[in-house]
Amino acid sequence: MVALQNAPARTAPQGEHPHLAPLDPALDTLPKNFVAMAKRYGARKVAMRKKRYGIWQEYTWAGSFAHVRDFCLGLVSLGLQRGEKVSIIGDNDPEYYWAELAVQAAGGISVGIFTDANLQELAYVLQDSDSVFVIAHDQEQCDKMLALREAVPSIRAVIYWDEKGLWRYRDAWLLSFEQVEAKGRAYAAAQPDAFEKLVAQGSGDDIAIFSYTSGTTSLPKGAMIAHRNLIYGMRHVLAVAPIRPEDDYVSFSPLAWITEQSLGLTAHVCVGTVVNFPECAETTQNDIREIAPVALLFPSRLWESLLSMVQVRMADANLINRALYALFMPIGYRVVDFEDRGKRAPIWWRALYRLGDVLIFRPLRDKLGMVRMREAFTSGASLSPDALRWFRAIGVTLKNLYGSTECQTHTLHYGGEVRFETVGKPPPGVEIRIAERNEIYVRSRSVFQGYYKAPEETAKAIDAEGWFHTGDAGYLNAEGHLIYLDRVKDLVPLASGEYFSPQYLEVRLRFSPYIQDAMALGSAERDFVGALIVIQFDNVARWAEKHRVSFTTFVDLSQKQEVYELIRKDVQRVNAALPEAIRIKRFSILHKAFDADEAELTRTRKLRRGFLAERYREIIEAIYSGATSVQVRAEVKYRDGRTGVVQTAVRIVDV
Amino acid sequence: MNQPAAKLRVQNITLRFGGVTALNDVSFEVYQGEILALIGPNGAGKTSCINSISGFYRPQSGRIFLDGRDITNLPPHQRAKLGLSRTFQNIALYTNATTLDNLMAARHIHMRPSLIGEVIFWGMAQREEIKHRRVVEEIIDFLEMQAIRKSIVGKLGYGLRKRVELGRALALEPSVLLLDEPMAGMNVEEKEDMARFILDIHERRGVTIVLIEHDMGLVMDIAQRIVVLDFGRKIAEGTPQEIRTNQAVINAYLGQAG
Repeated sequence: MVALQNAPARTAPQGEHPHLAPLDPALDTLPKNFVAMAKRYGARKVAMRKKRYGIWQEYTWAGSFAHVRDFCLGLVSLGLQRGEKVSIIGDNDPEYYWAELAVQAAGGISVGIFTDANLQELAYVLQDSDSVFVIAHDQEQCDKMLALREAVPSIRAVIYWDEKGLWRYRDAWLLSFEQVEAKGRAYAAAQPDAFEKLVAQGSGDDIAIFSYTSGTTSLPKGAMIAHRNLIYGMRHVLAVAPIRPEDDYVSFSPLAWITEQSLGLTAHVCVGTVVNFPECAETTQNDIREIAPVALLFPSRLWESLLSMVQVRMADANLINRALYALFMPIGYRVVDFEDRGKRAPIWWRALYRLGDVLIFRPLRDKLGMVRMREAFTSGASLSPDALRWFRAIGVTLKNLYGSTECQTHTLHYGGEVRFETVGKPPPGVEIRIAERNEIYVRSRSVFQGYYKAPEETAKAIDAEGWFHTGDAGYLNAEGHLIYLDRVKDLVPLASGEYFSPQYLEVRLRFSPYIQDAMALGSAERDFVGALIVIQFDNVARWAEKHRVSFTTFVDLSQKQEVYELIRKDVQRVNAALPEAIRIKRFSILHKAFDADEAELTRTRKLRRGFLAERYREIIEAIYSGATSVQVRAEVKYRDGRTGVVQTAVRIVDV
Repeated sequence: MNQPAAKLRVQNITLRFGGVTALNDVSFEVYQGEILALIGPNGAGKTSCINSISGFYRPQSGRIFLDGRDITNLPPHQRAKLGLSRTFQNIALYTNATTLDNLMAARHIHMRPSLIGEVIFWGMAQREEIKHRRVVEEIIDFLEMQAIRKSIVGKLGYGLRKRVELGRALALEPSVLLLDEPMAGMNVEEKEDMARFILDIHERRGVTIVLIEHDMGLVMDIAQRIVVLDFGRKIAEGTPQEIRTNQAVINAYLGQAG
């Protein structure tokens, strides 16, 4: 293979893997795979389950097929043309999967939008993507659409699937899912083979979805992702983390996120996994426990919050459980340390671990719904090594997965090589190269087709040789594992010339059960690193109650002397692992939590640093001027749109 | 008479506690399928009025009709069987039971128990249980209580307990729902949720609703008609627009202008 010989020196080995074979033209789109799978299993196998009325309601492949066919033809009879875009805004439900497959079966492009998008964000995506239909989950989303009606004249109809609260809406612009399906059935009666013809017209090179990037830096851009990209993207993972048709998958990550598209929908139609939908967002944890899936991918924040939940509950547990936990956790850590050095733990350690597994680790895994877990992945911002170690100690082999919207999976842990400090190796079919300024380049068959209506941005992102420039900084170690540092542009120099990674500090700080968010401060004009910290209110409140610290509100609690002492200990713990020059010297606890509704966080809960730096300028200036307290007047925007003003004194302390 | 049929008629009721007259010759009608709000300053007799309708208090004089039938002398549980259901100002639930159990308990009114059937729990009894569970699950879904289905009610927050209480009132499948300050003590978001639920119940289930509420903005938004009480007397009755400009109401709320 010529490509192999010409490959740059530092790439992953690229063997002939069955998953990398060219796509069969009869199976090169998601709808084609879906139809084939429905033919194979018919009414004999469950395709999906949705928990409703407290019971897991089942849908077979045949049932699923009828919904997709009817909805697809319904959209066609409403005028959907090949290549047109349809936006979907809703929570994970069978109807979302059906709607997306129906849009793609008709040759359309599905555009996922996060359910908590506000009017402005929603209007932007609808306009930017040139959407012609909107499939909106429920009353909440329909109300947003009705409010936006004038701004989005290109939208021909809004289709909802949860009629609750919409009974009295009389508007020809709004249609129910069933109404569209009924139109589809009428269409099919006139042209019986219309659906099969539409599906057959699709090609692997067609765009399947637009996935809007979360926009940490600028306005979101619509990444155009072809069917072929999705199928290969999933295969790259499958090659090293096999998934079988009988495996249960729990769908709860937003479908606007590429990962859910790849490991959820694509694996469902290409492998035949059973997709389970939780009853509602609040019951997800319990529903996961009931299903006990074999594979899971959480963003790192979710793993961290699971861990701090367990730690807090453990602190409140009965004496026996606390004693068992205190006794066996160190044994768990010990065994993990052996494994991490690539050694087998001595037999007595393993025997003790086995005992701990029966007494405490397995019950813990059961509580988390992870008794059958084979492939537990974490993605997004890097998870602290301490959290990784903890999960491995209780028997959940948590693996890092590093990827992007544009190229799906770049690297992951596999083949038993789980290294805490790395994000793993590229799977077969993916090449990694480290370019100038330590930027990570990726090349594979899942590299996207460009940003919609943004040729300049596209040219910057994909070079002539097909490398996707990630904008991330990292390096490959001797084992070929990638070590992720930070965004290239986010490594920050101090006045001393030392570079530090704010994200690294923030992740480590967040590992404390008492810290919900943190923002590390520092720049070329500053001599040292400072930090803004947001307390985890529930946990700190519980701590305060236990230690007889009285408080009234979040603002009051956050500024207590005792709370500062509590947080100071965590800051010192993080500092201990760092060289003197880049330790946190001073910090302040904020009087409010960061809020995505106030644009302080992105929708995937990443910090919007520029905005935060401006918003909390007074406090940051005070940290560097040596002051011990500063008065702040902060405008707060309530959920109903009103604004109010909070005035308070915020302390600043030395570590 | 072009008025729609009166679902509930309160006719000249007077209620005294010793020397205190809580309700003094109060009359009004609630029409089929409307939301009627009962408002008035503290101590005006609103809760006394609801208690008289549901049968907790016995007025010394006057009559109460439901669907044209005189229910004045019926005890509360028989009124409930006829389709009257209520919530309380101070939540009254089984605090050590789960949400589900509280709702199922309310279904008792519709159960047809037979001793033998219940003991062996087979056939009829099992089908009966499933039927009631389905009704209850639909209410859980309707009021978005899935996440607290199996939570102990006593450990829930105030707003959620209010919601459970509303669920229990609905589990009776009432035709008239009496709500005594369903939104008291809630924050803005909880109030909006509750208002949405009340409108949904009214819209979807066609339930006639009598509501006591202090938040005037909300009352004006969701009620179709308003009855105003002051010192046990009815001082006004009408649409929200009429009530807003009614001089007697303004005086009662703002005090007599000097």
